Amino acid sequence: MILRFEGVSYSYFGADTPALDGVDLNVHPGESVLVAGTSGSGKSTFCRACIGLVPHFHQGRLTGKVLVDGLDTRQHPVCELFRHAGLVFQNPDAQLFNQTVESELVYGLESLGMGPSEIEKRLAWASKLAGLDSLMDRPPHTLSGGEKQRVALGAILTLRPRLLLLDEPFTHLDPEGTESLRRILRTMKSEGITLIIVEHRLHEIIQDVDRIIVLHQGKIVKEGSPHQALAGEISAYGLNLPPLLRLFRAFGLNKTVFNVEEAIEELKTQDLLEPFSVLLSEQMTNPSNGFTATSDPIVEAEDIWFNYEGRSVLCGVHLKLRKGECVALLGRNGAGKTTLIKHLNGLLKPHQGFLKILGRDTRRTPVSELSRYVGFVWQNPNDQLFRPTVREEVLTGPKTFRSYDPVWCDELFTRFGLRPLLDRSPFSLSEGQKKRVSFAAALAVKPDLFVLDEPTAGQDEFFRHELTGFITRLREEGRTILLVTHDLEFAAEHANRWLVLSEGQVIADGPADEVMADSVVMAQAGLHPTQRFQLTQAIRQLRKGKA
Amino acid sequence: MKRSIFDPRSKLIMAFAATVLLMIFNDWDFLTASLGILVILLLFLYLGRPWLNFLKSLGFAVLTFFIIAWLAFDLHTGIVSGLRLLNIGTVFFLFFQTTPPDMLSNGLLKMGLPYPFTFVLSASMQFIPVLAHRARNIRDAQRARGIPIEGGLGILLHLPALVGPLLIQAFKFADELAEAMEARGFGISGRSFHYEPRFRWVDWGAVAISLTALTIALSIQFL
Repeated sequence: MILRFEGVSYSYFGADTPALDGVDLNVHPGESVLVAGTSGSGKSTFCRACIGLVPHFHQGRLTGKVLVDGLDTRQHPVCELFRHAGLVFQNPDAQLFNQTVESELVYGLESLGMGPSEIEKRLAWASKLAGLDSLMDRPPHTLSGGEKQRVALGAILTLRPRLLLLDEPFTHLDPEGTESLRRILRTMKSEGITLIIVEHRLHEIIQDVDRIIVLHQGKIVKEGSPHQALAGEISAYGLNLPPLLRLFRAFGLNKTVFNVEEAIEELKTQDLLEPFSVLLSEQMTNPSNGFTATSDPIVEAEDIWFNYEGRSVLCGVHLKLRKGECVALLGRNGAGKTTLIKHLNGLLKPHQGFLKILGRDTRRTPVSELSRYVGFVWQNPNDQLFRPTVREEVLTGPKTFRSYDPVWCDELFTRFGLRPLLDRSPFSLSEGQKKRVSFAAALAVKPDLFVLDEPTAGQDEFFRHELTGFITRLREEGRTILLVTHDLEFAAEHANRWLVLSEGQVIADGPADEVMADSVVMAQAGLHPTQRFQLTQAIRQLRKGKA
Repeated sequence: MKRSIFDPRSKLIMAFAATVLLMIFNDWDFLTASLGILVILLLFLYLGRPWLNFLKSLGFAVLTFFIIAWLAFDLHTGIVSGLRLLNIGTVFFLFFQTTPPDMLSNGLLKMGLPYPFTFVLSASMQFIPVLAHRARNIRDAQRARGIPIEGGLGILLHLPALVGPLLIQAFKFADELAEAMEARGFGISGRSFHYEPRFRWVDWGAVAISLTALTIALSIQFL
């Protein structure tokens, strides 16, 4: 047994409820296990308990026993356990603390007092496995999110732990980065390393794992093979289910399917291809909520060019966003998405071309004026919280613009469930609550355009469900929404238009199904069609074949 | 980063000797000549452009120093003070441009300094750009809400909007970092080096020359 939990309960110092509550678990060598659950279900505490940070680093009360590779974590300090079990933490920035990628990879080996020849051998192995050979001299802070994730993984791999844990490794990755990490994990599994992966985005990894453990309020509530664990009624656990499984459940089918082949097989068996196809095409027709191609333009961009450190980040971007539209801005990391959205309120000014917001040229209008018309909800809500109470935080914008509308703000407090939190410090809230505060704060000035930067990243199904409600409501109010996301399933559900960026250029602009049907564009942008789209295509092919 | 042929320890001694020399001479011609030598060295190491960028920040301090010394004493003192600061700044610019922080910390570790101290020294340099990036994100997020922190007075007037989130994130970051370091064996005794700093004959030579020059200068000045 590589990992054994015997009746483990753990409560953080001062917490009312336990983070882990009577957990019993055995993990065998070479197994790959996916740990799922909502935010706050105890997943990260579970990871920390596996490498001894709980109880040695965190103050709290631990009962029961955790054995890692036969070592009782209570009796062995982290500095002994780290050669047996390694953890890749959620935030890559906070685990890269050396000057170069190479020194990052060898840090743990130097801690172990290894000789240069053994260090070289392990360095070569880990850098090849994690695909880091070309990055060895780079300072970690200059790397992309995906590269940082691979360095963090490589830094643990050099230690050759028998047990490797990854805490939400896919959160900040684009589809290509996700695929690359999946490849690395498959290789590691084939080398006999035991893997425990904590992840919200189940569909990214579900087909590669042997077992799923579902944590809920610190307890293991489901356990088994992916098909077993996700069978039956599991909606109470807030899991972000794989898209096809969600689709089947919505259609009233109980069979657990993870890929298109399984779905087609089941539909054929039950003779449901035809009605399912009708349902899919109905759902694909995204309601435009009164938006028409002749609606007033909110944003007009003409031939925008922008350079950064001698590199062209935006190259001749043309863009028009009309009133009432919901547009998804897609593309791989580094394609220019963030640069483009920062042009929407003048945070960045085009070096060539122009951009107008409601007729105002961003080159000649200050950000403080444009931000009245364009509301932003950034990926990290902590970037904006600074007021002593939630109420003051939400009212910061209206007070800055002297546009405080008490009725509207009251409506926002209710809509985002902030009433019980109004007098609390925003810093004391959970991440999901902070997101709701940032939504309300951005909407408080009644912006015409609402920009959501990676709204689903790292969020559980409960928040996704809330988010769906918020977006539907905004669309009903006729607001223009721009979604910047890697979550194509979410984009396909909500956006009536996809805008695809690649190397600073708009390479596709149209409805989701049209964009996904263009395999050249999808490959160029490093995107993969959604499972729902793939299923539709597969059914269509089958029907054509029959005809 | 330019790698140099010297061990960080010998460079530290050279920088220290140069600083003392620059402090004890009050002649503007000596300071000008030493600045000339430093500039030649900068050009030889292809560090001219980065030095000019560095001057954008150091220049303000030099000018301020010059004006204060001129007003408080006389023009000669002002020139000497300004030149001295420029020289010392350039010496340490050269030192840090040619010494990777991890090599410096390994060197200091070899000198017997405690590991936590040397680690903090190198890690603080590593995290300056990370925190600067965070500060930029925070500033953008606040500007996007209409808070006018474009720069200068705007930043001062709305300091809490910038400093509040930055501090909170820095504390959280420090916590996460401590966990990650613990999980990679930070502070275990018997640490080895991938590249072990070695004090070679060039280093002994450089140290000997530096200390001789320092002794001669001190003798001339004070005996």
